[in-house]
Amino acid sequence: MIPLAHFLIISAILFCIGLYAVLSKKNAIQVLIGIEFMLNAGILNFVAFSKYDRINSGGQVFALFAIVLAAASVAVALAIILNVYKKYNTIDPSKINELRD
Amino acid sequence: MEAVEPQKYVLLALVAVLLPFCAFIRLLLAKNTSGSAFYAITGISLSFIISIFIFSNTWNEQFIHQQVDWFTIGGTTFRVGILINNLSVLMMVLVTGISLLVHVYSIAYMKKDPLIHRYWGYLGLFCAAMLLLVMADNLLVLYMAWELVGFSSYLLIGFWFTKDAASQAARKAFIMNRIGDIGFLIGLFILYTQFGTLDIQKLFGQDGLVLSATVHSDLWISSINQMPATWLTIAGIAFFMGAVAKSAQFPLHTWLPDAMEGPTSVSSLIHAATMVAAGVFLVARIFPLFNDTVLLVITITGLFTALMAATIALTQNDIKRILAFSTISQLGFMMLAMGIGAVDGGIFHLATHAFFKCLLFLAAGALIHALAHLKEKDDLDFDIQDIRNMGGLRTLMPVTFYTMLVASIALIGLPLTSGYLSKDAILIRAFEWAESKALIFTIVPYTALLVSWLTAFYISRLIFKVFFGKWRLQKGFKNIFTLHDSPAEMKYPMIILAVCCLFPLFSSNPLLFETSWILNGFHGTNSLQRVNAYHTIIPAAVNTISIMVMYICYRWYVKPGYSIANNNLLYRFSENQWYFNCIYDVLVVKPVNTFAKAIFWFERKVVDGLVNLTGRAGLLFSAISAWVDEYIIDAAVNNLALLAKKIGDFTRHFQTGRVQHYLVTMLLFVLTVFVLKYFSQLL
Amino acid sequence: MSLLSILIFMPLIAGLIILILPSSFQQKFKYVTLLITILQLLISGFIYFQFDPSVAGVHLESQFQLVEKLAWIRLDLGSGGKLEIDYFLGIDGLSMPFLFLTSLVMAVAVLASWEIKTNLKAFFALFLLLDAAIMGVFCALDFFLFYIFYELMLLPLYFLIGMWGGVRREYAAIKFFLYTLFGSVFMLLVIIGLYFSVINPATGNHTFNMITMMDPANFVQGSIFSIAANQELFGVPARLLAFIVLFIAFAIKVPIVPLHTWLPDAHVEAPTPVSIILAGILLKIGGYGILRICFSMFPDAASQSSWWLGLIGVISIIYGALNALAQTDLKRLIAYSSVSHMGFVLLGIASGTVEGTSGAMLQMISHGILSAMLFYLVGMLYERVHDRDIYSFRGLATLMPAFTVFIMIAFFASLGLPGFSAFIAEAFTLIGAFSSESVNGWLPRWMAIGGSIGILLSAAYFLWTLQRMFFGQTRLKGGTDWALQLSDVNLREKFALVPLAIMALILGILPSIAFDKMNTSVIEFVRFITLKQ
Repeated sequence: MIPLAHFLIISAILFCIGLYAVLSKKNAIQVLIGIEFMLNAGILNFVAFSKYDRINSGGQVFALFAIVLAAASVAVALAIILNVYKKYNTIDPSKINELRD
Repeated sequence: MEAVEPQKYVLLALVAVLLPFCAFIRLLLAKNTSGSAFYAITGISLSFIISIFIFSNTWNEQFIHQQVDWFTIGGTTFRVGILINNLSVLMMVLVTGISLLVHVYSIAYMKKDPLIHRYWGYLGLFCAAMLLLVMADNLLVLYMAWELVGFSSYLLIGFWFTKDAASQAARKAFIMNRIGDIGFLIGLFILYTQFGTLDIQKLFGQDGLVLSATVHSDLWISSINQMPATWLTIAGIAFFMGAVAKSAQFPLHTWLPDAMEGPTSVSSLIHAATMVAAGVFLVARIFPLFNDTVLLVITITGLFTALMAATIALTQNDIKRILAFSTISQLGFMMLAMGIGAVDGGIFHLATHAFFKCLLFLAAGALIHALAHLKEKDDLDFDIQDIRNMGGLRTLMPVTFYTMLVASIALIGLPLTSGYLSKDAILIRAFEWAESKALIFTIVPYTALLVSWLTAFYISRLIFKVFFGKWRLQKGFKNIFTLHDSPAEMKYPMIILAVCCLFPLFSSNPLLFETSWILNGFHGTNSLQRVNAYHTIIPAAVNTISIMVMYICYRWYVKPGYSIANNNLLYRFSENQWYFNCIYDVLVVKPVNTFAKAIFWFERKVVDGLVNLTGRAGLLFSAISAWVDEYIIDAAVNNLALLAKKIGDFTRHFQTGRVQHYLVTMLLFVLTVFVLKYFSQLL
Repeated sequence: MSLLSILIFMPLIAGLIILILPSSFQQKFKYVTLLITILQLLISGFIYFQFDPSVAGVHLESQFQLVEKLAWIRLDLGSGGKLEIDYFLGIDGLSMPFLFLTSLVMAVAVLASWEIKTNLKAFFALFLLLDAAIMGVFCALDFFLFYIFYELMLLPLYFLIGMWGGVRREYAAIKFFLYTLFGSVFMLLVIIGLYFSVINPATGNHTFNMITMMDPANFVQGSIFSIAANQELFGVPARLLAFIVLFIAFAIKVPIVPLHTWLPDAHVEAPTPVSIILAGILLKIGGYGILRICFSMFPDAASQSSWWLGLIGVISIIYGALNALAQTDLKRLIAYSSVSHMGFVLLGIASGTVEGTSGAMLQMISHGILSAMLFYLVGMLYERVHDRDIYSFRGLATLMPAFTVFIMIAFFASLGLPGFSAFIAEAFTLIGAFSSESVNGWLPRWMAIGGSIGILLSAAYFLWTLQRMFFGQTRLKGGTDWALQLSDVNLREKFALVPLAIMALILGILPSIAFDKMNTSVIEFVRFITLKQ
């Protein structure tokens, strides 16, 4: 039996990779990938912790729910990226600073 | 009939005043200046005729007094009118008569002057004012006339206004007279306050208010008011001050010699015969006011002036100045007479003096006129008024010589002349007066005697130097100068005046002044009887010594061989007129001017300086508050805003508009919160 | 609408009309103004003849003449009662003579305005505004109304001096404005204090009615200015303090030494017509204010301080005369002579006698006429050669004989030659001052004697000037150029000067034409202020 701590460590590593990608990548697609990493780290945690709720399996249900949400948000995000590309001819997030004003 | 009669005289008197005044009005209004002499002379002749008429009907009659309302101030109504009594009718005749003669004289004397129409106008103003002065029944009106004669005298002294000396003399005369006028005015205040009226008849008539007021334990009490008794003395002195200035008495006499800058005809009329006598007239008019102290002051002033002016006249060389000082001296005599209570004698002397002094001036004018002609014709340069340039003129100008001689004899007071009568009247009264007083007062009559001998000397000197000996101007010139007697317009007035200088006009008996009708016309004198020896001794003594003096004078000035040291101290003292002009200049004129300048400095620097300082202090204060406002109060507000801006500037750095930066920030915050939470739990 | 309102509003309306008219008409403006002033002169002449000399006025509202009383501002203040400000005009013997004087001097000032060449529209509009305000001051019987007119005068004067004046005009204008404002601001405080102290017995409201303020019965018990209450402010009795404040406000206008220094500057820098108005009328407002307001409202304080007022009067007389003696600028000399002559006014009023007060009234009228004449004459000289220095001229009498005649008339009249108005006026102020010690004990006798020295000094400075400038051989600083420019008096100038000379002469010979109309009022005034309360 794999101890819970291993799952959590993997999850933390995944989350950190995702976070790094989100914060430092110069490509919006890569940022999106980073977000997916972080989401999956969360989902992994849900699944890991669902062992404490064997009757209702709340963790797993929530994981499924989150996967669906993630798929939806990727779709939305990709759409945004496309539009951003259309408008700015780039998808480098460091070059888009319209939020400033 | 009784009721109508007085009004008639009053109206006539008014006409007499207005006629000469018309000449002045004409000067102001008329464009056409020719014929002004005609108007002036017609006016004054009519005035003269009217005066004679009034005189002949009212002399020694009941006085006539008519009034109309003038103006009302508070509860007091000032009434103005005409008071005709012996004093005023006598003066009227005197003024108009002499004026008429001088007017006629002036036709020739002023002939060539381009501004002669002004001369006639000014003379008219003078005559009107003088007549008003003698007839006024109210001291306020009298004061007005008083100043108006001063004003016309100002105009006439300054008649040749392009000459600096003339305009300065005019100013001096007016200001000197103003000093006296202030006194007169103060006298008016006192009388008005004390009695509530300025009516001469009410104040000084029989049973007048002044006489009924009493002095009681240092209080001067009238029916309506009371004030300390000093004010009675002050009132007397104040009025006398007016008389002092007008009659050129010490210490306000210095204007009269300077006034000789005017035309000689003017000097004879105004500054010898009439206006200067107004002071004596005033003293006579208000005589009841004077108490013993004031009378003594009047006596001493008159005596001192008579002596001083006589000593000055001894050494003058300007013919008009000699006569001017002689006038001052004689006026001093009149004042002396007033002071010793001999009002009648003073007025008598005033009348006789008017004729002979007027004549002396007219004769001097004739000389000057002739010499001026000569100077102009031969283009010479010499002083036409200096007696050192004359001499031996009796053969060249016989009429002038004889008339002037008569006048001089009258001035000396030799028998058969008018001067003999009037001068004796005063001298004898002076001796009688002194007799009733302490011994010290005998100085007064003896000094008066001395003055009359000095008079004999200076006038003899004049006559001898001008008419006897050799004509000194001739020396050094080859061609023979000639002079002629004056034209008829000048000659006849002089002859008429010369006749008037003799006794018949004044007294039936040439030797006894007591028979003079003028003296008898003024009542209240008790010494017309020949009560004592003075009445015989004095005239004899005076005249004997006078003749001796004249002889000495003849020896000195006509016979060669005698010469007088003319540079010793006394001589220079006299020649420089006792240095009065210098003293006044140093003691009064300069200090007043300096004081005025100092006051102006004070005004500029202190008073105005204070105002400007207040202004500047205000500016300074506002500058300070502006600084405070800008750098402290406004700065506080600004700094607050600046702080907000700085904070904003600082925080806006976080807002880069880049998603990733935001996320980093978010992360940092979360981490911070987490760390804090963690460590706070730990603690 | 009474004649008084016409007097006030006619010039105001004419001024507005001038403002509306296009500038192309500007050569006509002076004729419009002249017409208005002549109409005013006719109206005030009519008022003079209609005036009933038998009723007094002063503190009796029913005896005022040509009264016009309209409710103007009525503001309900709730618990504070009702604000009661009236449009209240009326005249008595103390104010009527000034209406005539104002009209006369204004007419002369218009004739003197012919020399003004720039910005005529503004000049004449301001001129007419000034005219209206001055008329208003003399007619107003409501203190609030009075104050409005009083302040309204300052505005046009400031601009008239500041815009058309001489070299230092701005300094002079500001000095004049601030000085006068200084006085009147404090006056406002007293007005407000009086307002809260006085109740109109008819309505029960506080009021600004001046006549109501004169009656001690109308004061609220215990109020600040009530006589009975004897309140103190800063350790000084409140009524005395109020009197002093009001006195200073008006004394600045008179002016008295040492509050006079605005006068020489303002008079010298102002253009001729404004100098004429300043000396001719403005100074009289000070004297009028002292009579109408200071003495009438605070007779008790007046009797307490009369000694000081008399002293100030004497000092003004002598100080002004000495300063005049030291001047080299002719206009400045005349300005200082004004200080000296207005000192007589104060001395006469302070005497508290009928003679003194009548004399002071006549002196104000006489000085109005004579100073207008004097300033006009100086203005004529300045207009011709732009110099006023006494030492620049000599022997003008040969060059300008008619001008010299007028100058001599003005000088001799001013120095108190009998036959001219100033003599009667000065003589009676001094008689009043002298008799004061016997009559009411207000002034010691020496003050009258001190004042008479001023008469002597005035002779000195006027005659000296006459001798220096007009007599002697002709010698001018500007040489032959000046001799050509110095033309004699022309017809228009004669037209302005002759009426003034004649007025001075008539008043001097027949003072009754002035005294008769004001005698009743003066007697009542003197009775009222010397009443023991």
